Amino acid sequence: MRAATRPPGALAVVLLLAASTTACSQTGEDRPTVVVSTNILGDVVEEVVGPEAEVVTLMPADADPHSFEVSAREAARMRAADLVVSNGLGLEEGLQRQLDAAELDGAPGFVAGEAVDVLDYADGDAAGTPDPHFWTDPGRMVDVVEALAPVLAGIEGVDAAVVEDRAERYVEALDDVASEMAASFASIPDERRALVTNHHVFGYLAERYDFEVVGAVIPGGTTLASPSVSDLAGLVSAIEDTGVRAVFAESSSPDRLVQALADEADVEVDVVPLFSESLSGPGGGAEDYLTMLRANTARITGGLT
Amino acid sequence: MNLPLPPLSRGTRAMAAVTLLAPALLACGGAPSGPDPAGGSPAEDPGGDDHGAVEGARELDEPALGLTTVDPGGRVRHLDLLSEDTTDLARLPGTGAASTVHTDGRFLYVQGREGLQILDSGVWTWDHVDHFHYYRAEPREVGAVPGGSTSTVATTTSSTSGGAGVFFTDSGEAAMLDVASLADGETAERYRLETEPHDGMLVPVGDHALLTRAGAGPGSERSTADRVVVLDAGGEPVPGAEHACRRASGTIATRVGTVVGCADGALLATVTDGEVEVVRIPVPQGGRARGAAPATSFAGRDGRPTVAGLAGPRGRDGVWLLDTREQAWRLLDVSVPLTQVTAVDDEDEHVLGLTPDGRVVVIDGTDGRLLARTRPLAARSMASGTGTPTLVVDQQRAYLSAPAERRVHEIDFADGGRISRTFPTATVPALLAGTGR
Repeated sequence: MRAATRPPGALAVVLLLAASTTACSQTGEDRPTVVVSTNILGDVVEEVVGPEAEVVTLMPADADPHSFEVSAREAARMRAADLVVSNGLGLEEGLQRQLDAAELDGAPGFVAGEAVDVLDYADGDAAGTPDPHFWTDPGRMVDVVEALAPVLAGIEGVDAAVVEDRAERYVEALDDVASEMAASFASIPDERRALVTNHHVFGYLAERYDFEVVGAVIPGGTTLASPSVSDLAGLVSAIEDTGVRAVFAESSSPDRLVQALADEADVEVDVVPLFSESLSGPGGGAEDYLTMLRANTARITGGLT
Repeated sequence: MNLPLPPLSRGTRAMAAVTLLAPALLACGGAPSGPDPAGGSPAEDPGGDDHGAVEGARELDEPALGLTTVDPGGRVRHLDLLSEDTTDLARLPGTGAASTVHTDGRFLYVQGREGLQILDSGVWTWDHVDHFHYYRAEPREVGAVPGGSTSTVATTTSSTSGGAGVFFTDSGEAAMLDVASLADGETAERYRLETEPHDGMLVPVGDHALLTRAGAGPGSERSTADRVVVLDAGGEPVPGAEHACRRASGTIATRVGTVVGCADGALLATVTDGEVEVVRIPVPQGGRARGAAPATSFAGRDGRPTVAGLAGPRGRDGVWLLDTREQAWRLLDVSVPLTQVTAVDDEDEHVLGLTPDGRVVVIDGTDGRLLARTRPLAARSMASGTGTPTLVVDQQRAYLSAPAERRVHEIDFADGGRISRTFPTATVPALLAGTGR
């Protein structure tokens, strides 16, 4: 076990953790363990490695990849993993300390963001810093799978041929979705290829499929309680400049927003939420990565045509 | 470091954080680890104890904006600005009215005669710079921090991690609270120091901190600080890291860095690769700014880079805007006296002020022009000195408490200072803090 190679300075806390992990763990399997940070990457890793390894995804469904944290037991598991797969590019803020600790402990790591051509945020306070949300472009995920497959195949106890075969098939599936998305978006008139949104994750999708991302202040509930024309001015001009009929936004009161736009500015639009940073739970509509891509594609095309 | 400092005596509470780990280690059987806020566990959290997310908290589509008030009897109430419901949060123990309240947008630090009480409003925002995430958990009382009857509290832009510095100005005791422990319902202290009583502060900067030191040199005033030292994560002075800061007063954390006001400008502290870097932003000396009084407190929209402060009593010399990103001051010539000022830092650079007759004025932050003024909303409070009328600003709305009038007003500053909503309060809202931010 890896525990034997830990530096002696790692203190009693670590030993206690290890003991508690052993005591609690019921899996007792001999398969190698791959620990994955985000649920999107967790799904991709499971598709590629299949039954050859036990995949432990740390981030729950419907969660926030930036801020989710792990239990002491999960952190211990991470340090003992045969591979730790993370998104990187600053995404896992709540987890970074444990990721660093696992690396220090010698757990091999794979950072997906290092396998892709990274875009910087175009504007806002984060302008110029790397955008970690590469998964909105399935082409970027192909790059990740092609870099990841040999690493998974090289884990001791994994049948490399099985992983290579599964990776090839998953890349084909990603290519298929990428083509479906292109075909679907092709039906959107050129002059309406704009995402007016408060989602911040669609830079990669926009780059691949030639959308303009128009950031807009989406008035919140306190504003919509008693709105004025000036509250909606920024959003209205974004809608009018782009000619879109849908705004892609997370809002706790989308109906109120639609109503306020109609009443105050005589603008008729739909407010459509998209899946942004997390897979959903069962029945949520984005149970796996490919389903998430397809769901967003249908919503974007539906909203803009 | 060879400095004529009184020794920093250290408490034993630093160990508290370590012992907190213990319960988590035992929690492998499926029982929730740590104190569980009743009803706070979200139904959609599939992992129970084992999966992190943010334990006991639910993520929201938009911020759970609220206002928390403290009345003279110590009753703390929370007004939900979305549902417009009011809930009782706590009844503070002890006698005597609370004198100040500080918030980081989540935790409330209420100073009473017998010490500092900390409450968790249960609503907060996580600032990722490129975007935000919003959370709601159960509100609760966290606990008391002993040490004095007057304090300055300094917090960071994060209400889930890092430290919160409490400086008891009457006793000189300074405690660095562990914010993650507050989220767990405990008031663990990372360290506690005894210093000269003075008008000082202990300001968290990453895992480090800035601590003011009382004036010691010839001719300096002992009641105010004349310098700031950098402390490491354990509360020990970092050798050589000392910065002159005469009459240190006022601190605020923006997403760029942490500001401490001095008589001749401001210090801006940032953390790069675990090291604290402190730069001095001197106030301009030429033109209209010649001889203008320095800002002694700072206010702005939560986390925004530009903050505002009054230049002299009642803004006699105008309003200072400090842009922490550009590291630059700007002095606005404002035509009315003000008792309070805050920066919205929106596209139109709105600045809001409170006049001595209880009106909110909307100021153009580019040139100091008065864009709008409300009717007197807190005239009686201002005239009678009832409570502390307080301005809180969001991106599109501002709030003003009017204690004697028993009202909280919502102001649409971009629409001519229109009063968009008014909330009556059951008792005198002596103190006000904006939460969920």
